[in-house]
Amino acid sequence: MAGKSQAGQAPIAQLCQAADPSGGLQGCQTFAPELSPSTLDEAADTNTPFATLVPSTTAAARATPINMAGQSGQSGQLLTFFTAMDNQGNVIVREAPKLDLDLYISNYRGRTRFERLLLIGQSSVPLCVDALKAAVAEAKRGKDVQRYRDAWECIRIAAPNEQEAQWDQAWADKTDKANKVETHRLELELKGYKNNLVKESIRIGHRDLGQHLESIGELVAASDAYVRMRGDASTQSHILDVSKHLIGVMIQRRDWPSVLANVNKILAGSLSEDDIKVQQPYQKMVSGIAHLHSEKYYDAAKSFLETGDLAICQTYNEIASPNDVATYGGLLALASMDRSELQARVLDNANFRNYLELEPHIRKAVSMFVNGRYAACLAMLESYRPDYLLDVHLQKHIPAIYAQIRSKCIVQYFIPFSCVTLDSMNEAFAKPGESLEAELITMIRSGRLQARINTIDRLLVAVSLDRRAEMQTKGLETARGYEKEALERIRRMSLIAANLEVKGNPRERAGGPVTDQWYEDTRRQLNAGEAPA
Amino acid sequence: MDQVASICLAFPPEHLRDDDDSAYHKAMESQLTQLSKLLKDPSQPLRTDGLALLSLLDPSVNSLSYLAVIHSLCIPGLAGPREQLLERLVVFLLSFDARQLRYAGAHLLDILNVVGQGQLLPPAVAVNVLAAAILRIDPSGSMLTSTHINLVKLAYTTDNIEPALPVIDKSIVFYPGMANHKTPDLLCDLTLSPPSFISKDSGLTSLLKAPAILEYDLLCGMMYCARRDWAKAVAAFERVISYPTRDMGTSKIMADAYKKWVLVSLLHAGKYTALPSYTGAGAVKAYGAIGKLYKDVATIFETENAADLKAEVDEHTKEWLDDGNTGLIGEVLSAYQQWQIVNLRRVYSKISIPEIRQLTKCAQIGDVLTKDEDVETLIQNMIISGTLSGVIEKNDNGVSFLTFLSSSATLSEVDFAREIANTATRLKALQPVFKATTERLGTTKEYIKHLVKEQRRAGDKDGDITMGFGADIEDEDLMGEGPTAEALF
Repeated sequence: MAGKSQAGQAPIAQLCQAADPSGGLQGCQTFAPELSPSTLDEAADTNTPFATLVPSTTAAARATPINMAGQSGQSGQLLTFFTAMDNQGNVIVREAPKLDLDLYISNYRGRTRFERLLLIGQSSVPLCVDALKAAVAEAKRGKDVQRYRDAWECIRIAAPNEQEAQWDQAWADKTDKANKVETHRLELELKGYKNNLVKESIRIGHRDLGQHLESIGELVAASDAYVRMRGDASTQSHILDVSKHLIGVMIQRRDWPSVLANVNKILAGSLSEDDIKVQQPYQKMVSGIAHLHSEKYYDAAKSFLETGDLAICQTYNEIASPNDVATYGGLLALASMDRSELQARVLDNANFRNYLELEPHIRKAVSMFVNGRYAACLAMLESYRPDYLLDVHLQKHIPAIYAQIRSKCIVQYFIPFSCVTLDSMNEAFAKPGESLEAELITMIRSGRLQARINTIDRLLVAVSLDRRAEMQTKGLETARGYEKEALERIRRMSLIAANLEVKGNPRERAGGPVTDQWYEDTRRQLNAGEAPA
Repeated sequence: MDQVASICLAFPPEHLRDDDDSAYHKAMESQLTQLSKLLKDPSQPLRTDGLALLSLLDPSVNSLSYLAVIHSLCIPGLAGPREQLLERLVVFLLSFDARQLRYAGAHLLDILNVVGQGQLLPPAVAVNVLAAAILRIDPSGSMLTSTHINLVKLAYTTDNIEPALPVIDKSIVFYPGMANHKTPDLLCDLTLSPPSFISKDSGLTSLLKAPAILEYDLLCGMMYCARRDWAKAVAAFERVISYPTRDMGTSKIMADAYKKWVLVSLLHAGKYTALPSYTGAGAVKAYGAIGKLYKDVATIFETENAADLKAEVDEHTKEWLDDGNTGLIGEVLSAYQQWQIVNLRRVYSKISIPEIRQLTKCAQIGDVLTKDEDVETLIQNMIISGTLSGVIEKNDNGVSFLTFLSSSATLSEVDFAREIANTATRLKALQPVFKATTERLGTTKEYIKHLVKEQRRAGDKDGDITMGFGADIEDEDLMGEGPTAEALF
């Protein structure tokens, strides 16, 4: 939808329109200054639904009069901003998503909040300013100066008139200094622990240092510190702890192979059944995400579907929320599983049902697919596309996933028929006024759809595989191949026996005199005129 | 003269039985001694009385004597009326008895070489005669000789391809100079494999070098190209490009063949086929560098970019000319749209001609054709030539359309069985070749050395086992006849 090529030439009017009507645009204008960082931190840490805090401020802000002059200036700046984003190859979503930004972000805690906010700010036209402002606030609540800079760079272009667009040098200097002091302190402390040779203290020392480095954005150093914890880990839970810290950093570094390697270690130890139950949600969720990014959609779907206890999953919302698990699992299952598997693994899956309840439209889409209502299923998914395009993990994969689902729908639709009119296919799948033919052709070419198009009677005809003919051709081919190979082998043996190989001494390789002589003599070009018809 | 004639007519003796090889051999030997005496005679009786002698002799019965006479008449230089002599020569080469001539290979080769030069006979006749002679000497045609090389050169340069086909269609599996082929005791033995009686020693061929063999297959390929027999051309070029190499060696001929092979495989299969797995490593590397241009053309050929293909071809006119591939490139351009149409079969079952015109592009003009009639003519030609199985029909509203027919009509059980049986027969026909190769390999020094080593090793192992106490008992157990272990204790 928000294809790269289209977005580049997006008419200004369209962007203005998209940016304009959003009430939320003004909505969050004031919420950041009003809420003190401490309140927010508290909210995030204790898992109190942050959303309950926000709406009141949002509602209040909506009432503030809108400055029209500012508005038009703003759309121009937004255009500049998104042109820049488009040039960087970012996905741009012009449609307004169904999600509510505040409600959405309240599902998460930890460093992923900033990532998600920044991504929405960089991708969604309607939510851009809100999300960027929230991202700046989020960054300033943390200790990572680089993140503040990233967010500020964006908002500086997108909305230079906002208060957040002013660079807060004092804060940056202060935080920088504090970070350095803290790093130094922790390193000294760790040194002290090492001198005392108390294993547990050393482990804690490493962990504290790692956590600090992670929070200031030094991810490589952080993972080094976490790795050092392993040497002093003495119990199973310590090892789990190390792995989780490491995975947390790896996910932020987008290092998916390492995530997979570490995640498998979690369940590798000799865990009791209860332990497995406790660890499974984390393990499955993380490996699902890693598989998703490695484009192994089927493996990813299986992982998400086996996530297990929702309450435990909820506690890992610094990585993904249960809503995400439902969305990822449902979409990927749709893209990679057939109908019976969907029924068995998704709809009849007691554990996963809890997740699906959070995202009822996913459940609906799956059951529509299973019941053969493909067009409705596709329409449902289509309406949620902007939302999914704003998800930090799904964004890059949505076009591929949707294409897979769509072609599966077409294939499934066609299975019971030997022949379908193209018009009825168009009716079921094509957008109004467009024809499905090009897509069908690509599918047939790639072998996903076993059919032929009859453009005279406007039919899609199934190919009936003639097994007998196939067997015969194969048999004859094998016989011929065998004959050819036998001859070729004997020929080569004879050549070698006669010592006639082309040898690799430099003179011959360059085409020595003997090699060339014949050619010049007997050369006769096979030109068009000369080739006898 | 009478005495000479009686010597010439002495073979075959009346009572000679064809199936008695040793008697035949003996008679042959004595005849050879007599004839060589005549040949050495300083008065040259065979040259002076040649024509008269020839009229007395039957070329198919007294082949050996006939050869001796005609050899002395033709070499060096023709002695006698040209027309008459050449007629005799042609008749002889078309009807000689190959069994006799095995004993005088060198002389026959002299004659064949002279013919192969193309001076003596008009080229069309020469090619015919050479091809016939080659197949008379070795009906299986499985051995490459120096005469083969002369034949293809002559046939290709003088554009007399048709008569050479029976020879070049045969699969060659033997080459002169193969190690471990000894001259057999009885040269007349009809069960001998070709390499036993065709060798440098028997004189029926001279030794060949690798470039000559490469040249042979390359010329075969080019001859098939001239006949537009793309399948056979691909096979011939493939033999050149996958020629056995050692120490990363590659020959210029192989590189040239590669270029042609790429183009011809486009014509034959509509796409670039992978190199055979047994292609030499050095060759693969060289092809990658030298044949890049051709590979590029092949890559574009498989896409739907007719304009790009045309541009690429036009840009490198000089290269095609230098490589002598201008003609083939032209063929590739004209084949492009045909393959596009053939490939439509994978997507459509019925499609109208105007749609085909829109969907496929002509690489010669780099765009779609402007008239539906042109497309229809093209398709009709394809259907006639068998490249496309389909029919053109007309709709009620006057639109012509193409219906693709199923490509491989199912064979009936009988036909299928026959096809398979044919292949089996051809494989069985390989049996003698296989046997000859096995024999040859089985008696090479390397193999015997290897065998001895293996046996010694196996022997050592046996020795080890018999050393053990337990093995001893088991050994006796196995024998079954001697006293059993229980009985011993």
